Amino acid sequence: MGWEEIQVRGYEEFVRTAQRYHGRPIFALFCGDKDAEGRSWCPDCVTAEPVVRNELHNLPDESVFIYCLVGDRAYWKDPNNEFRRNLKLTGVPTLLKYGTPQKLVEEECFKADLVRMLFTED
Amino acid sequence: GKNEYDLLVIGGGSGGLACAKEAAQFGRKVAVLDYVDPSPRGTTWGLGGTCVNVGCIPKKLMHQAALLGSALKDAPHYGWNIAQPAHHSWSVMAQAVQNYVKSLNWGHRVQLQDKKVKYLNMKGSFSDPHTVRGWTKAGKETIVTADNIVIATGGRPKYPTQVVGALQYGITSDDLFWLKESPGKTLSSFILYVSLECAGFLTGIGLDTAVMMRSIPLRGFDQASMECLTECREQMASLVTEHMESYGTKFLKRCFPTKVEKLESNRLQVTWKNTDLGTEESDSFDTVMWAVGRAPDTKTLNLEAVGVKTNSETGKIIVDASEATSVPHIYAIGDVTEGRPELTPTAIAAGKLLAQRLFGQSSELMDYASVPTTVFTPLEYGCVGLSEEAAVQCHGADNVEVFHAYYKPLEFTVAERDATQCYMKMVCLRESEQRILGLHFIGPNAGEVIQGFALGIKCGATYPQLMKTVGIHPTCAEEVTKLHITKRSGLDATVTGC
Repeated sequence: MGWEEIQVRGYEEFVRTAQRYHGRPIFALFCGDKDAEGRSWCPDCVTAEPVVRNELHNLPDESVFIYCLVGDRAYWKDPNNEFRRNLKLTGVPTLLKYGTPQKLVEEECFKADLVRMLFTED
Repeated sequence: GKNEYDLLVIGGGSGGLACAKEAAQFGRKVAVLDYVDPSPRGTTWGLGGTCVNVGCIPKKLMHQAALLGSALKDAPHYGWNIAQPAHHSWSVMAQAVQNYVKSLNWGHRVQLQDKKVKYLNMKGSFSDPHTVRGWTKAGKETIVTADNIVIATGGRPKYPTQVVGALQYGITSDDLFWLKESPGKTLSSFILYVSLECAGFLTGIGLDTAVMMRSIPLRGFDQASMECLTECREQMASLVTEHMESYGTKFLKRCFPTKVEKLESNRLQVTWKNTDLGTEESDSFDTVMWAVGRAPDTKTLNLEAVGVKTNSETGKIIVDASEATSVPHIYAIGDVTEGRPELTPTAIAAGKLLAQRLFGQSSELMDYASVPTTVFTPLEYGCVGLSEEAAVQCHGADNVEVFHAYYKPLEFTVAERDATQCYMKMVCLRESEQRILGLHFIGPNAGEVIQGFALGIKCGATYPQLMKTVGIHPTCAEEVTKLHITKRSGLDATVTGC
């Protein structure tokens, strides 16, 4: 079985989804909310998303890719939001391998070779 | 044909990574081979070398855990209501430390990738002076060729093979930091700084800990091969161990182990000879940790095939002042080299300077003189420059003046802490200029205190200049600027409060 993508919005939904797939490799991309036209308030997320999507075919079998919209700009700027507090996220976009210290933050997500490395390395 | 890389670095530790990244800055094609042979216990780790994975980093973090334990004991004196005794969880600490180390492994991976350095998780072995065969854990082989090769494979802890059961039942620092469960009642042998640092923090987190030492607490310090520690025996080593003893670490003096056996309970029975009493003694422990020195990691490099000369006694690679080995275009840096300090900052600096000389038109050589360093025992010992013994040997006792002082950190007063071993000494030339040759400090935050003075020593600071330097009050470091009692005078060197 290859990999699958789950789209979620907000912290609660993210945690529930991660727990549901416990035991499988979980990768997550956190981005700012999108407007009615499908554009995110976070310009770096707009740049990173196609780069990440282009590398998804490198995901190991059985893995789960969670695409998570974190919330609106005001929510994200709050230094106490749950993503910052509990997941220790420092910026969006963040691409990480759940349960490990392996992650790419902001401009690091623009680099296809780094994204590929995150998806394929132990 | 042409070699594939401008530079191949064998070993992804402090020195190797610094050299590789610096070379990549010059736009060169660089590859790094890194591979960790599991310890006899099966412990293994990621990219970054000894410092990151099984050395400086986890050591300092666990030392900090122990210091926090002491702070909790002091806290009620300062008005805090804390339930005593506070309980420590090894697994919580170990997981936090191990997670941080793993984030560093990842950070190095990202850096190498970002700087376009090719990373190969492979073990390397020379085929010829420009060719290295690398193979993965799974046995897949790759040939790598390079114009220049830097060996930075570091070292691994030795086992006392003459002790029966040492290899089977004992662990080393390679394993200690990766234990998921508490090591429990621990015996650490022998008296190298690694042993003291580990025994120190184990005692600090509440574990029953003993250190076994064959002779006086100074022999072991020789093997640290650090300029000032190498000979700073008697005084500094005794003060450090005295402090540890007063804080609960047991010292089994003038004893050496003969065998380690496993008991039915899964604990370990250690038998040793007490050379003082001429008797045989034994006790049971949960963990036995060996700290008998480190051996250079060169066995599988196949150095003989290319003619890289090593020291017959230590096995370390012989290099000249430019880090060159006996073979052109093959260099070596860090712990694997003969006569160099086994320290991260010197390996990093040597690696960077080497890359700058190879690819950046620089001719600057690494300066190994007056390298400051610190032993992170419960009461820390920091030093820079010559030991008293080395100064006397070099200049003669008549030409050396030693200023010293016993002092009490302000923070110890209210906490009613014993400051008997808080001590400092400065070794100076006696003639006109009174140049400072070395500074030695035992006390809290010794590394932070000594760092700044290292610059002074590099600049050739003199005693008169130091006396003109105003101290920061209230600190321990200010006592350095006030040193005035000489050993020669025989006067009481205890500093009185302000």
